[in-house]
Amino acid sequence: MAELYDPQLGAASNALFNTALGAYLLAMVGYFFRMAFTKVAEGQTTATRAGRRIGVASTVIASVGVLAHTASIVTRGLAAERVPWANMYEYSSALSLLAVAIGLVVLQRRLGLGHLMGFVLALATTTMAIALMLYTDPGPIVPSLQSYWIRIHVTSAMVASAIFMVAFAATALYLVKDTAERRVAERSGQGFTGSTVGAASVTPGAEVAAGEGAALAEGEAGAAPGAGGDQPDDRLDGDAVEGAGYASPLEQRRVLTAWPFGVVPAAVVGPFTLVVYQAPVAAAVSALVAAAIGLLSRWSVPHLPDAKTLDTLAYRTIAFGFPIWTFAIIAGAVWAEEAWGRFWGWDPKETGSFFTWVLYAAYLHARSTSGWRGRRAAWIGVVSFAALMVTYYVVNLFVVGLHSYAGV
Amino acid sequence: MTQTAPSREPTRAPERGVALPEVPGPGETARRAWRWLRRMSTAIWLLFALAAASVVATFVPQEPVIPTTVESWRSGIEGPGTEVSAVFDALGLYDVYGSPWFAAIVVLLFVSLTGCLVPRWRAFLRDARRPPPRGRGLTALRQSTTLRTSLPPEEGLAVVEASLARRRYRRRRLAQEETASGLAQVAAERGRWREGGSLLFHASFYLLLVGIVVAQGFGFVGQVNVAEGQAFTDTRISYDVADPGRFFDLEDHAGFAVRLDAFDLAFFEDGTPERFVSEVTVLEDGEEVRVGEAVAVNERLEHAGMNLYQMRFGMAPRVEVRAGDSDLFADQVMLGQGEGNTWTGVAKVSAADPQIALEILLVPDFARDADGEPISAGPAPGDPRLFANLWVGDLGLERPVPATQFDRDGGQRVDAVELGEGESAALLDGALEVAFPELTMWSGFQVAHQPGRAILLAAGVLVLVGLVPSLYAYRRRIWAEARPVEGGSEVTVAGVALQRVEAFDDAYAELVEELADALDAQHPTSGEPGEEERQG
Repeated sequence: MAELYDPQLGAASNALFNTALGAYLLAMVGYFFRMAFTKVAEGQTTATRAGRRIGVASTVIASVGVLAHTASIVTRGLAAERVPWANMYEYSSALSLLAVAIGLVVLQRRLGLGHLMGFVLALATTTMAIALMLYTDPGPIVPSLQSYWIRIHVTSAMVASAIFMVAFAATALYLVKDTAERRVAERSGQGFTGSTVGAASVTPGAEVAAGEGAALAEGEAGAAPGAGGDQPDDRLDGDAVEGAGYASPLEQRRVLTAWPFGVVPAAVVGPFTLVVYQAPVAAAVSALVAAAIGLLSRWSVPHLPDAKTLDTLAYRTIAFGFPIWTFAIIAGAVWAEEAWGRFWGWDPKETGSFFTWVLYAAYLHARSTSGWRGRRAAWIGVVSFAALMVTYYVVNLFVVGLHSYAGV
Repeated sequence: MTQTAPSREPTRAPERGVALPEVPGPGETARRAWRWLRRMSTAIWLLFALAAASVVATFVPQEPVIPTTVESWRSGIEGPGTEVSAVFDALGLYDVYGSPWFAAIVVLLFVSLTGCLVPRWRAFLRDARRPPPRGRGLTALRQSTTLRTSLPPEEGLAVVEASLARRRYRRRRLAQEETASGLAQVAAERGRWREGGSLLFHASFYLLLVGIVVAQGFGFVGQVNVAEGQAFTDTRISYDVADPGRFFDLEDHAGFAVRLDAFDLAFFEDGTPERFVSEVTVLEDGEEVRVGEAVAVNERLEHAGMNLYQMRFGMAPRVEVRAGDSDLFADQVMLGQGEGNTWTGVAKVSAADPQIALEILLVPDFARDADGEPISAGPAPGDPRLFANLWVGDLGLERPVPATQFDRDGGQRVDAVELGEGESAALLDGALEVAFPELTMWSGFQVAHQPGRAILLAAGVLVLVGLVPSLYAYRRRIWAEARPVEGGSEVTVAGVALQRVEAFDDAYAELVEELADALDAQHPTSGEPGEEERQG
């Protein structure tokens, strides 16, 4: 019998993984510091010189992390002589790499939203920490996974998940920012009805004031797929966003009560970890981390791009990920048909990916339906991501099905 | 719709204003229900319901998928207990996808989809035949540029039209008397695929439904376990589990036979299976038509419209039971996976009187643990050892019970035996002889006839083909007019996008740059208005 894997390469892969994790954590702190060194003026944010320097340093460190991470995954693949995303540790690792890479390339470079990188890195490092809890040595894979379909099906699912992860950051931050903007407007006595997004996002004339997010905003909401009967008319006039102005950006932080931002994420993530891993310490730690991220999101409210930009970002990322997820499901059905003799068998993993798909589809519909657009749609986006996490962690670790062997 | 669009000519009816179609049926209630179903809000709620049903079906075991787990939930061995289980049963939660309420959700979704799609298709097809609309007041548009050129108006417009043609815009030339400005105009439009893609995406679900119905109705799925050297025939009764579609009849079976010649099994060091391959021969009317074909996971065998899939495998020791000169039993006993790497099963000797059953434990690679208990050193057969308990009495072997069960109360355990491969032993003071001549394997196949495959694949492809443009394509219109001036003309270009305005702005800037070059114009006088500055 041949050796299961090359132990030296395996060790190198693990060392590189840890390097990447360290780099990401450092970069994450850097990005948040950069945020702190950012002057907040009305409607726009400008980094101070120190802030810019820290920003550049963070970018470099994160990029080094990406290189190390890529090397880690490549060596892992070489060690096991197969696709390096065939179990949960590997999948989580590659997933977080993709999320960071998408963050750096798309968010920071293309859209100029480097501000959000701290949050993307927070999600990525959390995923990596979970990956460490699920660590297994690089080993061979069972015959059912020995197919070229693993490259197609699993890779596309992974890419879509990474995109959804970035989208989640945007969606959650949108909800925070939108709440802040609304409250500030309410308190300053301006008549403020509904979400900042509602009408604004279909108003091309209004998008340029969005500061650094300007490169992004666009009137996407008009006609997403399935924008059927309730779809409002596409508006091309620019008279909708009068109410979005606010007195002081820092006021946005003050209007948000602090404790829910700590308690709610902790209350969601802690029990989730406890249920999935049955490890109280890990649950406590993850609850604390979630609370910290939640509080950071409140703290960073004045520095965030405006709600409309975040909402557009969320929509565009989800709209980008959704066809890939759809493809992953179809490819999975084709593979299932080839390997098991049925294209769809309501296996728990299949149902999981299905309800995730349905929820994201609901998001896309809601995004183009009056009365749903804005906060309600965003909440569907949050629920969809939760569904994705349930499909990945809970179904893999808990529910017995045909995909089970792909587990830990 | 486009209040500020230059065209006063609506090119598609605003969705909101569409008059409801005449609904046949009993009056206002039906009309209201129809109106409710056509609302997008309703569709979103129905999607939630669909998602919720799937969530339930993910965490509550489903009878068609894992019946054994459902059984133990019902009997309270596992799960939330018998009372909750009864509620689950009443609600159909053990078979969500077969339940009437799930069917109701799906039907309502499709009705809602139809109600939504019909008017949209109608509008889309009507618009598709319409030429790009006339433009009016071009300079007032957000994106508007005037270029000075030495070319005469007609040629200037021709340059613009050529550029738009390269960009695959649909174009229309308007004569002077057709426009509001009294100038000749090029009107162009692109991006119908946004709506078209969306319509295609949604329409694909009907095809998907058709594919599912065909696959379910005309398909067949059967499972059969067969030991090395044995064969099974493609007839209904030879399958251990058969799930024929409603329209798949007994005579639809092709009737060929498949013989398992050998089963090849290899493990990695850590005990995970490296490969398992069935080598089979297909026989038709007793004649070998395909010899030495391999069936493995991810490698099916297709024959006469039936697909053969490798599903399971196990050990099948050949066991012989003799009483004096008469052979009571000689067969391969297909064992199921037991604890560790052991295999368990029962050899039922119903020919004997009284009935005899051998309760078998097979250890593929015999070793003893620290306590001296027999264990298997690994999953692969090395030194196979067969342990058997001999039961004698009225064991109910004639009753149709699962292969591993017999009526233990009706008889008693009278002896036990331990055999290596090739050994035999005398039991009950020589009255019985039990032999274990060799260890063979059995292989479990799924045999399936899937007629809807092509339809389903087509539906899947169309879903993607429609989905991508519905999210990325965007509708935009460009107009150009040329006014004769001294020494040439002034070409005014203007455009609007109905979606993805940002992307359009870039594309528009690129177009203007190209036109400026082509028209050899001086620096374009951009007509970008200050709307965005309105905000400060």
